[in-house]
Amino acid sequence: MLSPRRLVLVLAALGVSACQRSGGCSGAYCGTLVLAAVGEPDILLPPSTQQVTSRDIEEQLFLKLADIGLTTNTVGDEDFQPLLAERWEWDGPLTLVFHIDPRARWQDGQPVTASDVAFTFDAYTDSAVASPYRTALRRIASVKARDPQTAVFRFRERYPEMFYDAVYHMRILPAHLLRGVPRDSWKTAPFGRQPVGNGPYRFVAWKAGQTIELVADSTFFLGRPGIRRVIWRFTPDLQVAVTQVVADQADGREALYTPENIARVRAAPQVTLYPYRGNVYGYLGFNLAANGDTTQPHPIFGERDVRRALTIAVDRARLLKSVFGDFAKVPPGPTSQLWWIWDPEARQLPYDTAQAKRILSARGWRDSDGDGIRDRAGQPLAFHILVPSTSQTRKQYAQLLQEQFRVVGAQVEIDLVEQSVQAERTAAGKFDATLQAWNNDPSPSSGIAQVWSRAGFGGSNFLRYDNPVFDTLVSRATRAATPKQARPLWRAAFETINADAPAVFLFAPDNVAVFHSRIVDVRIRPDSWAALLRTWRIPSDRLIDRDRVER
Amino acid sequence: MTAWLVRRVAASIAIIFAVVTLTFFLMAVAPGEPLLGPDERQVPPEVRAELIRQWGLDQPAPVRYVKYLRQLARGNFGLSFSLHRPVADALAEAIPNTLLLAGAALLIDFLVGLGLGVYQAWRVHRLPDVVLSNVTLFLYSVPTFWLGLILLLVFGEWLGWFPVAGMSDPILCPTVSSFYCVMDRLWHLALPAATLGFVGAAGTARFQRAAMLEISAQDYIRTARAKGASEQRVVLRHQLRNALLSFITLFGLAFPFLLTGSVLIETTFAWPGMGRLATDAILRRDVPLVNAAVLLASTLVVMGSLLADVLLAAVDPRLRVRGTA
Amino acid sequence: MTLHAWFALLVALALAGWTVGTLRRRTARYEPGRRFFRHPTAAWGIGVLAFFVIVAVAAPLVTSYSPIVHNDIINLKNQPPSWSFILGTDVYSRDLWSRVAFGARISLKVGGLGMLVAVTLGTLVGAVAGYYRRWVDAVLMRGVDVGLALPRIFVLLIAIALFDRLGETVLILVIGLTSWFGTSRLVRAEVLSVRERDFVAAARAMGAGPGRVIFRHVLPNAAAPIIVAAALGIGNVLLLEASLSFLGIGVAPPKPSWGSMIADGVPYLATAPWTTLFPGLAIALVVMALNAVGDALREALDPRQEAM
Repeated sequence: MLSPRRLVLVLAALGVSACQRSGGCSGAYCGTLVLAAVGEPDILLPPSTQQVTSRDIEEQLFLKLADIGLTTNTVGDEDFQPLLAERWEWDGPLTLVFHIDPRARWQDGQPVTASDVAFTFDAYTDSAVASPYRTALRRIASVKARDPQTAVFRFRERYPEMFYDAVYHMRILPAHLLRGVPRDSWKTAPFGRQPVGNGPYRFVAWKAGQTIELVADSTFFLGRPGIRRVIWRFTPDLQVAVTQVVADQADGREALYTPENIARVRAAPQVTLYPYRGNVYGYLGFNLAANGDTTQPHPIFGERDVRRALTIAVDRARLLKSVFGDFAKVPPGPTSQLWWIWDPEARQLPYDTAQAKRILSARGWRDSDGDGIRDRAGQPLAFHILVPSTSQTRKQYAQLLQEQFRVVGAQVEIDLVEQSVQAERTAAGKFDATLQAWNNDPSPSSGIAQVWSRAGFGGSNFLRYDNPVFDTLVSRATRAATPKQARPLWRAAFETINADAPAVFLFAPDNVAVFHSRIVDVRIRPDSWAALLRTWRIPSDRLIDRDRVER
Repeated sequence: MTAWLVRRVAASIAIIFAVVTLTFFLMAVAPGEPLLGPDERQVPPEVRAELIRQWGLDQPAPVRYVKYLRQLARGNFGLSFSLHRPVADALAEAIPNTLLLAGAALLIDFLVGLGLGVYQAWRVHRLPDVVLSNVTLFLYSVPTFWLGLILLLVFGEWLGWFPVAGMSDPILCPTVSSFYCVMDRLWHLALPAATLGFVGAAGTARFQRAAMLEISAQDYIRTARAKGASEQRVVLRHQLRNALLSFITLFGLAFPFLLTGSVLIETTFAWPGMGRLATDAILRRDVPLVNAAVLLASTLVVMGSLLADVLLAAVDPRLRVRGTA
Repeated sequence: MTLHAWFALLVALALAGWTVGTLRRRTARYEPGRRFFRHPTAAWGIGVLAFFVIVAVAAPLVTSYSPIVHNDIINLKNQPPSWSFILGTDVYSRDLWSRVAFGARISLKVGGLGMLVAVTLGTLVGAVAGYYRRWVDAVLMRGVDVGLALPRIFVLLIAIALFDRLGETVLILVIGLTSWFGTSRLVRAEVLSVRERDFVAAARAMGAGPGRVIFRHVLPNAAAPIIVAAALGIGNVLLLEASLSFLGIGVAPPKPSWGSMIADGVPYLATAPWTTLFPGLAIALVVMALNAVGDALREALDPRQEAM
């Protein structure tokens, strides 16, 4: 663990600084957690960012009124945990009243009040702030402060996930510190680089490109966090981040992504693996409209049977095994493993290259010139797949799919482009097929409609899939009062979209987190792994060097 | 001499201006919209439209160019789309790190390179020279980032002698507060500086060896020998003096090499420097940051070559007569 | 690897050696030829280049697998070198040796053509600047200064982003268009010194137009540094292509190029280092050979050596 050179340095350091330190931290509330992170946050202001690491850090700095439990159920309000709000009640079908916990404080000492809640809602829905969470809050009509401890939410309509919408998207912000900041410059506000929150941890320092450090608030009203310091350490490369964990230069990370990384980490004796349901699903999307012209159908993908044939030609299970090993599942539809609508019984298209070839020939795609590529009326069965160069997984899938399609006589060219270019081309409809992946919130209702229904035209539904039957089923499913009523509707919706095959649903990975074995009580909520970080702890008999450093 | 200097400086400024303009319009024409939504989250179209309006991206390129020049004249580098902070702040934090890396690499480059070159010329065609020639040839020919990866694998992961990433230990040494922390910084600096430095040293050694061999054949050394001056003194004095000349030339050429090398090395070793910042900015179409980085980089390059020309003219009288080289 | 492939490989090695020998014999008559081979690494450099060119040309013969077929994506993924796959397999279970051999075609082609574009452009600009001098020279050389001041890797990233689809032609053009600045300076210096010579003045007195003077009289005498720059230029272009692929922009899959093979292998460096090692070694060997040949050419063609 300690190489000879490191040992010499440490001994020298201890010798040199023996006078400076007074023995270091000991006891139950010590501990330093070093996280090997890959993406650096852009800004630490909740309404202005969706970046993954920003959200993880905000989780420690800013509280929501309440949050979902470990079951990740988003319907009703029974499974929700109180945070900033100690209790709530319904005051009529469209009115929700929250009572703010009087012990809650901002880190500058000011109490958290209902006017903070009203201010937060106003900011999140202000078009000048341009928050991506604005659409999620569209069904809330207003938020007012009845008195300093009571916040009243008024909704426009009744639906099953009212409570979820009220609490999940917003992190409460300090009105007294942000009121003076002009709304259209929130994205670059200095507050975003030196946030003041009300959560279990306080912000200490942000060294750009290197680290962000947080320290525990020992007076946190919901219980003192077990681990005293949390340091996010940024590395642009996943491989190097994993190496840091293996070499004990970091305490862990929230996802390993590939079976090779998992194997490397398994070999390290000082860490433990924690698999949990992932909230990502990926697919190969076919552009149903012509490349560059949304008024015309695509010459190849405009036909349902051709899409079905191409889907049947892909051995999804085998591709999954090659890319992810045992740590992913083939999605039964447009869903990640996190969503409770995951339904392996829903009917999907089989894998059958012979049938694929038959269907293609039946639709007129035959190899008339013997070059191995099918053609019809002079046009070859050839298309481009758009792949972002930043995703190792999708790059792998692109080459694997290329080979799968070659076997049935389709020629695929891979357009490896930067993520920004992919975003632009999909938004403009200038593509044939694209390898896409979505990272979702725990509620299926927003994610699916936005991407797969007519409501998503001009937005995330750039495949332009439009099936009124599917739209109706999804709409009814999201309005169903209980999950039990919703499930058969979701299954019907999945079977509809699977039969139409606007996309080949390829992967829904498990996330495998890895953390140092000395850390106990590791609880991971699948939608946000760092949500319960404050409950983790390091027993005093397992402290190591970096835990003891007193600063 | 002064007239020449004034002309050169004016030309340098014109060059930098041309570079910045070219970059601006290249970025304006490049496909790909600035990343307004990270990772794989959906950004609602009205939000995207609002962000585009706020960042001023809905205006035509020439209008934005003029605005940019006016901002620049006031010393304002603009706001970065991807980092959500003033470009000047981001660069101010990153530049010292790159300078540290480049400085260390330059040190290794010249100390090792010139030393090797002189040694090889002294022992020309004998075994040490042959062995070193092949070694420098190899180092000069490998892709720098590949060498960095291999060194990282061998010395960082397999042997564990050096840290695998970053500039410092975030727990014990977030700031340089003790001797241990200075050593920690050097320990983190070792591998990336060594990769850049040794590849540069290989080139320097080859160049120096060739230059010194060429010099020993020249007339004035033969004349000196004929006049009876001792072999050692002749060789040493003239060769070292010309070593100084090559040092200056190479110094001017080193800047572009270090800038390019820093992009790849910083990415490999997670070094928080300018090269990494700029590469990310280009990939995310963060136009203000890219423009500022290119401005800075080309200024460094132009200044480096100007400095080298001035030093050369000061040291070697022959060059003064020729004017613009 | 099959017996045929082994046999073909041995034949390729033998051919490479034979090339060196023949070249040495044929040029022994000329002083530059003798000087060339006197250089310690010249023969070796020619041999390595010959070997890679032969392998590139005869790639289907020296390999037993296709470079693009996925052999078994579950069981043969990232396998270490073995008797059937002599350099191992990559993450898509493709034979690494086949990809190196077929990759030689693309990498050498991009290198050769890219260098050709760069040297041609550089020679033209440098010759025109050196011949006409005054304001033509000033304008062109300031342009060259701008080109040298632009951080090349940034320009490449930006310029390549201009093209939606990255075909080989585009890659070659872009690399060539950004690599000619040094050559132009070199050529200009040579032309400046040659143009003062008697035979050039004589040609002009006889009424020869500038084009004729440049191409028939000036350039052939300035040829030496151009040739050397060409030899070294291929090496630089190869390294550039590798860097671009590493940064995520390069030759499109499934075509193998050495640079993109390194990029493919980087995520598996710790568990399957051979996927990165062998393409990197291939690049290093070819660039080493080119540098050795370039050095030897420089010594062989340098007229100043005549005095010794």
